[in-house]
Amino acid sequence: MLATDASALQLVGELRRLLGADRVLDAHSDLAVYECDAFVIEKHCPAVAVFPKTTAEVAAIVRLCNERGVPFVPRGAGTSLSGGGLPVGGGVMIVLTQMREILEVNLRDRYAVVEPGIVNASLNRRLANTGFHYAPDPSSQGACTIGGNTATNAGGPHTLKYGVTVNHVLGVELVTADGEIMQIGGPVDSSPGPDLVGTIVGGEGTLGIVTKVWVRLTRNPQNVRTMLGVFESVDDATQAISSIIGAGIIPAALEMMDQGILVAVEAAFHFGFPLDAEAILLIEVDGLEVGLDAQRDRITEICRQHRAREVRFAKDAKERLQLWKARKQAFGAIGRLSPSYCTQDGVVPRSKLPHILQRIRAIGQKYDIKIVNVFHAGDGNLHPILLFDERHPDQVKRVLDASGEILTECLECGGSVTGEHGIGLEKISFMNRMFTSDDLEVMQRLRDALNPGGLLSPGKLLPTAGACGMEQIHPGRQAAL
Amino acid sequence: MSAILKKATSPSAAALNTQADVAEAVRAAYSSAEGLCPVGGRTALDFGGKLPSASRQLDLTGLNRIVDYTPRDMTILVEAGVRMADLAATLATEGQQLPIDVPRASEATIGGTVATNWCGPRRYGHGTIRDYVIGINAVDGRGVAFKGGGRVVKNVAGYDFCKLLTGSLGTLGVITQLALKVKPQPECVATVVADCADLSVAEAALDRLAMLEAPPAAIDLLIGEAWGDAAGGSPAARPQPPASTIRNPQSAIRNQLAVRIEGTEVEARWLADRTQTECAAAGAGSSRVLSTEEAAKLWSRQVEFSDRGAGDSDDASPMVLQSIVPPSSVVEIISKLLAADPACAIQAHAASGIITARFKEFSHGDLTTLLAGKLRPAAVRLGGSAIVVRGSLDGLTPHLAWGGRNDAVVLLERIKQKFDPKGILNPGRYVF
Repeated sequence: MLATDASALQLVGELRRLLGADRVLDAHSDLAVYECDAFVIEKHCPAVAVFPKTTAEVAAIVRLCNERGVPFVPRGAGTSLSGGGLPVGGGVMIVLTQMREILEVNLRDRYAVVEPGIVNASLNRRLANTGFHYAPDPSSQGACTIGGNTATNAGGPHTLKYGVTVNHVLGVELVTADGEIMQIGGPVDSSPGPDLVGTIVGGEGTLGIVTKVWVRLTRNPQNVRTMLGVFESVDDATQAISSIIGAGIIPAALEMMDQGILVAVEAAFHFGFPLDAEAILLIEVDGLEVGLDAQRDRITEICRQHRAREVRFAKDAKERLQLWKARKQAFGAIGRLSPSYCTQDGVVPRSKLPHILQRIRAIGQKYDIKIVNVFHAGDGNLHPILLFDERHPDQVKRVLDASGEILTECLECGGSVTGEHGIGLEKISFMNRMFTSDDLEVMQRLRDALNPGGLLSPGKLLPTAGACGMEQIHPGRQAAL
Repeated sequence: MSAILKKATSPSAAALNTQADVAEAVRAAYSSAEGLCPVGGRTALDFGGKLPSASRQLDLTGLNRIVDYTPRDMTILVEAGVRMADLAATLATEGQQLPIDVPRASEATIGGTVATNWCGPRRYGHGTIRDYVIGINAVDGRGVAFKGGGRVVKNVAGYDFCKLLTGSLGTLGVITQLALKVKPQPECVATVVADCADLSVAEAALDRLAMLEAPPAAIDLLIGEAWGDAAGGSPAARPQPPASTIRNPQSAIRNQLAVRIEGTEVEARWLADRTQTECAAAGAGSSRVLSTEEAAKLWSRQVEFSDRGAGDSDDASPMVLQSIVPPSSVVEIISKLLAADPACAIQAHAASGIITARFKEFSHGDLTTLLAGKLRPAAVRLGGSAIVVRGSLDGLTPHLAWGGRNDAVVLLERIKQKFDPKGILNPGRYVF
């Protein structure tokens, strides 16, 4: 491997001269923490981890890697659920968490310029009391970085109304795979020509390393109404979702939790969720105060038409925050249910939600695997969570089979195998089921154009010889969504 | 726009009706290294200046099927040659819309709208076309048919060709089919117009409107003689001196804010009131809510402006420029334009920082002095751009029209080489 190679030892020396000894780790004991991200199923240890503080340092690191022919991969907080941050083939891991400054906040022109290592929630803490916020809110926002969000085109509950990361990135500074520093887009709404910014966002770190991001800021809504619809059956809840969207209402967020997850969440947070209900919908509308009661009443009415047992309203900001805390930390509560779990990330057209939820239940029964659901219902973005015990190989096999069958069912509904987590390593084997060989060949050409040597983030997103996918790996415990 | 260009056609090959037909035509062109110019409704053939070469036109209007429409999912699958007006009519039957406003919608196609990344006044409230494309089919420069995205509103599988091909002007692939997400139509629309005595009043009003708690659908600043009584007469309308007598442009040219508000009736009323209050606080002379008929007339002019001008008929402008800058710099750019030509008509989607100016006269020398010498350096310094939206002048090179090689262009050239190795897709249309 790299560390025993004389040339690699030279590289480590060069990196130390560039960054100083304290920002270059190459002892195996120091590197163990970087061998996986929140996709803990697969592990790849980097030969070296480096911690640049400036764009120039990132570019210099990339050039050194190119000179030595060593693969390199950027990493943020390591919250990827698809293995997006794993150093396939070892090499140099470029950890960007020391580049975490907010460089500019411009409220009049509605943008901020941040370094990639800034934690998503830190930006919003800085924006508190300005009347503006950064809209994409992945559930891991207390830990994940804006650079990582940009790489994966991250979503979150409020993306239903406000859009995903790509809708909020105006520009990026990029270190190319060759080590050039480029600026694409900037503090303006758009640029002439092909939308390169939008192409790089969601490129999973394979098209360049983002070292600065111009993000759009969104005016805070005047007010908000948060509701909890309680349903006797999952089918009623999903029909209600379909009707709300079908009625032309776009809530700020529309999330579903089923009974399985409610039990765990209630045990953890004691919110007072009704444990005998099969499903609850967490629905939020925001906007002008004068219009909110009417929106709330219409949604309540639709829920009642679908036999909601009751519709509760969050009575104040504190209660609203508690509800969202329960939703966003639901994954943390799953430890109460089983020793291991595997989260899936499929998408279906919204009108297919009742069907897919029935199918997920049937698949769980077929493989004798308990599956609980907490997901972005308004987008049709499912997160079925398969519960098991990894100490039993038979259960592991059944979880793999059930996961594959759920994702296949999503594809048959006209959907996708990932709505927000990314392909990463995890779902490479599904790519040739979503796309033709021609589609994939053209995708490879895009990668070859911007990452010609293939040294940047190898083994991700596109199927290549030797890359592994879900069939080859073992599900294990996964961290927060 | 030149009438000749609008009518330009070239001998057409066999009619194209499917993606397979398009792929075959591109493969044939690839083998003979013949340039191809994909066209839809031919409403933007002079976007960025007229084409220097006589590439064969690849007419996509035969791909005009609405393939699938599922109103409950709020998504629609259409072929690239579907006319924007037909798309709007289909969506309207279900109370839905694609909130992208294009000139000559009965001719313009959805494929052309995506390829030009055209965005009308409502981009402030609704975003741009790239926010609505969830799936795309296209044919690359080798004749290989490929796709990106899918049919669902949230999807991160694979590289996002929906974005790469938006604004690609037919230079990276020929778009054949699009999956779009759509929106419900608003219950109510209200238009507030306010007259601003000078640009500093307009600037103060824009500063205030930027802080409204809900974004209006559009905030346009309309300047120049041609807008005249576009709103059907305004209480603040003043007699306009002939353009030739104008000494100080700001004292005589009318600056009108047009704010389009969408929502429920109660929301629209509230926001219209607030808009008027903010305009008054900024020192605007007067403001009012237009009647439905007045609003429709003004709206039509706002949507058609880049193509036709602010009047009832085509003003035959030889040059239409567009600059994109941070919103706080809109007035600064407008001042530069008016200083260069007090008679030009301007429409600024002010809250998005987009300024479009139509000139009555424009010489080749103006290209270098005004566009390349003043406007573009100012816009680039602010982080933005300045381009030719429509121009019929001879000697207008792509680099003059679009600007020089910046970082994005350097990277896009590498992509172009991979997607169109023989350079047959729309040669001369863009900077590569």
